[in-house]
Amino acid sequence: MQSKLFFFLFILLITTSVFCQIENLKWQKENISYEKPDQFRKRNYSFQSDNAGEFIKKSLVNAYWFFISDVDGDNCAFQPTCSSFFIDATEETNIFQGSLMFSDRLIRDSNPFKINDYPRDKSGYYYDPAYNYTLSQGRIKYLPPTFVADDE
Amino acid sequence: MRKIFVITFLIQLLAFPQSTSFDFHSPQNIKLFADHLFCESDYLRAIEEYALIDGQFVNDTIDFKIMLSYSNLGLFKLSNEVFKRINNGSIIYPDSYLLSMKNELVIKSTPLEYSILSSFNLSQQKSFNRLVSVSTLYGEKPVVTKNDFLSVFSAEDHDIISHLYDYKFDPPYKSPTLAGIFSAIIPGSGKMYVGEWGDGITGLLVTGLFAFLAYDNFKADHTARAWLFTGVGAFFYAGNIYGSIASAQIFNAKIDFEFSNGLKVFLENKNYFLPEYDFCN
Repeated sequence: MQSKLFFFLFILLITTSVFCQIENLKWQKENISYEKPDQFRKRNYSFQSDNAGEFIKKSLVNAYWFFISDVDGDNCAFQPTCSSFFIDATEETNIFQGSLMFSDRLIRDSNPFKINDYPRDKSGYYYDPAYNYTLSQGRIKYLPPTFVADDE
Repeated sequence: MRKIFVITFLIQLLAFPQSTSFDFHSPQNIKLFADHLFCESDYLRAIEEYALIDGQFVNDTIDFKIMLSYSNLGLFKLSNEVFKRINNGSIIYPDSYLLSMKNELVIKSTPLEYSILSSFNLSQQKSFNRLVSVSTLYGEKPVVTKNDFLSVFSAEDHDIISHLYDYKFDPPYKSPTLAGIFSAIIPGSGKMYVGEWGDGITGLLVTGLFAFLAYDNFKADHTARAWLFTGVGAFFYAGNIYGSIASAQIFNAKIDFEFSNGLKVFLENKNYFLPEYDFCN
């Protein structure tokens, strides 16, 4: 009687362990990352334009990223960062208007009084896209502070 | 004997659901189940069940429930497609007419151009008038005076509807041109005019700092350094004028957003002034 019981338990244990193996996807250990999603590393260093002006502009920004910003660390509170904002602004408009937008962004970035009115992106940065500053009425999209941007 | 009885009873119990003589899927049962799903707010499945008995009942109430289900699911165009099936002599037609008005308002966000039905009762007339009146807020110009506009609504709604009316037809916009001119005269003042005091003060300090550095270096005959500070100062000065114009535009977009969002929330809270439908009690 006892040997039968052991045999039964033995079969049960094997069946259970085999079942766990076949359901490997269901029971697989989840590799959770607690790291903050890092926008910093998503910088696009590539030169995609054959235009001389674009080449100079991208060279300056790349040099700033490589020699200053990357060494200094991820300190910009905004997404896109001021340098990325400059690239976006010039792409959305032109070099002259983009520079004005960039200048305004630098002033807003250095404002210590009222920074909390910006919406956030998923990583917690203040979300401040360039298209809102192009002076084109149709492209302005008001983003309330409660808005959470899914900006990849 | 008892065992035989129990076994027979169990067999009967198991055999009963298998029996083909009892039709669980009769149109009446499907309708009852669909009604139950509708009352449980399980609208998608209710629509599927109602579709199974489509054409087997001459019943506009079913069509109205389908219409209501689609509308509650946010499928307003489909809801209005169902409205076309409802007979205009039906007792449910005035209610479905009002629901189709709501759907139209949500889809198009334009003033409604519907005519009043003679078959409306008093409550439906009120709902109709309120829906038509509130839809004029989506137009460009006021159709009636503010007092006439407010007279349609109940006293408890006057404050909020009056506020929405003012926001629409007399919005507190800021002029981008004026903001630019202010910042050209005193750096940062355009931002302050728009209400962004922090940005304005920062703009004034940054521009002022570089202007002072340029002045001081010119005074001390450090010409190269002076021109460098002049360039940086001019860069921030021009950027601040540009930013003031952009900020005024964003401020105006915020006003528009607050109006449309406020109106939407108000209408949803009021269920678009539709009467209460009680199909479940």
